[in-house]
Amino acid sequence: MITPAELDKLAQLSRIALSEADKASLITEFDSILGYVDQLKKVDVSMDTEGRVGAVKNVMRTDVAEDVTSSDRERLLDEVPQREGDYVAVKKIIAQD
Amino acid sequence: MIIDLKKLTIAKAHEALKRGDFSCVELAQAYLDTISAKNKDINAYLEVYADVLESAQKADQMFREGKAGMLTGIPIAIKDNILVQGKIASSASKILENYHAPYDATVIAKLKEAGVVFLGRTNMDEFAMGGSTENSAYGVTKNPHDITRVAGGSSGGSAAAVAMDGALCALGSDTGGSIRQPASFCGVVGLKPTYGAVSRYGVMAMGSSLDQIGPFAKTVSDSEILFDAIRGTDGRDATTISADTYKPVRIGSKKPVIGVPREFLKGDGIDPAVLQNFEKSLAALKEKGYEIKDVSLPNISYSLMVYYVIMPAEVSSNMARFDGVKYGLHVDGKDGIDDYFQTRRAGFGKEVIRRILLGTYVLSSGYYDAYYNRANAVRQMITKDFLDAFEKVDVIVTPTTPSTAFKIGEKTADPVAMYLEDIFTVTANLTGMPAISIPCGTTSKEGKELPLGLQISGRHGDEKTLFQVGKDFLGE
Repeated sequence: MITPAELDKLAQLSRIALSEADKASLITEFDSILGYVDQLKKVDVSMDTEGRVGAVKNVMRTDVAEDVTSSDRERLLDEVPQREGDYVAVKKIIAQD
Repeated sequence: MIIDLKKLTIAKAHEALKRGDFSCVELAQAYLDTISAKNKDINAYLEVYADVLESAQKADQMFREGKAGMLTGIPIAIKDNILVQGKIASSASKILENYHAPYDATVIAKLKEAGVVFLGRTNMDEFAMGGSTENSAYGVTKNPHDITRVAGGSSGGSAAAVAMDGALCALGSDTGGSIRQPASFCGVVGLKPTYGAVSRYGVMAMGSSLDQIGPFAKTVSDSEILFDAIRGTDGRDATTISADTYKPVRIGSKKPVIGVPREFLKGDGIDPAVLQNFEKSLAALKEKGYEIKDVSLPNISYSLMVYYVIMPAEVSSNMARFDGVKYGLHVDGKDGIDDYFQTRRAGFGKEVIRRILLGTYVLSSGYYDAYYNRANAVRQMITKDFLDAFEKVDVIVTPTTPSTAFKIGEKTADPVAMYLEDIFTVTANLTGMPAISIPCGTTSKEGKELPLGLQISGRHGDEKTLFQVGKDFLGE
């Protein structure tokens, strides 16, 4: 059902490197899972359920920066895998000719 | 002194601590002793904290100062996806192996305030994805009733910790049954509260429209105590509800009416021993004077399919935060973007990768309408079915799981077989309604007595009735 090219595209979008062995087993598993959830396509979804479900509503807050203590900041920076001073270090993204 | 942990409840422990029968330190030590005797076989805990006795001393101090409450000094286990400041929180994943929580989850802050003693962090399926704890990067948790079988999942470590008397109670998280199913497999009580009843600030998100934190305990009364301690509106979780979000239903002095979705119990793959036990539970409820009615839930058979579209969709976006830049594992690739590919490949286990890809698929252009939008529409239909049913009954009961705890390795080869474990539990996550699993007897398999669970679900915001029926059923 899902082609190797489609799986490559999904892996690309998901930022996950896959080996050929991963891909082979994923294709089989996808077929089995999608085969199962495909039964949803038979359901008539024309019923109007608007406004019936849940009580979750938007909660807004003012767009202001919260004060962060230097120890809070240090705790967060402590978890950064590659750090230079108070900065998060990442690789250069612009290539040079 | 020797403390009988098997029979201990929160209320009993509190009374004993107040009377001075034993101290918080002695109680904590009794649990530490059990853990060191049993955990190497069960693997319920990934880490036992080094400061357990220190926090027990603080709890004793609270008793001396007259500041102790019901939960002061109560030893509790925490699922590894809930943040405790300064401690490792790994979600049983390699990608967070050395991640130290920079802050407390709201539930942790509340329990700290109450003076509980945190024993350690418990094993789970990686990022709560699974139903057996076999997806942990740190080995499977074994069922204390039969160590050749799984403890269930994803909160298998929390359930096993309570069942082996390695904690008086525990916290877990439930996205599709991850509290109730392991509770059922291990013979303890597990509650999935109403969506929004408990703040999720500081719990690692899996399926944000489905996730809830909830308690594990040996009794319904203990679950209620713990639930009352962690619930409430939180400015840091915009999805939390307040006391008046849902209109309370007055049942009055009448016994709650119990509904049974008969047509849903006819499906294939339900263990006859489970059905037999379920009928016995219904007979016991009838004996206690409950009226039992058949209820119709026409779209319930689609629940699991809906869940396995919506959940991976939400997983795929929630897992995007693990990029090897902000925290956790970093694996060097050939350039900046390749760092992401290599980090995520090395850090995530098989099931997590499967769900990210599946979620990306159902959300991708061309498939979005056929899968994600359709699943959301059917989710609304299922919720409407339940709302209609709750016009006629006060609670709905089913078995918690279609079978007893299964053998380790039995279902790992077939993801759909594993997913079918969630058949009775996912509906409460899809509808946002509360549901509790309580022990309802055992069945014999290969000479071992394996626990079974009865699931009681109720209206939004009506945990009270679940506790009422649960306590009555168990004779508490």
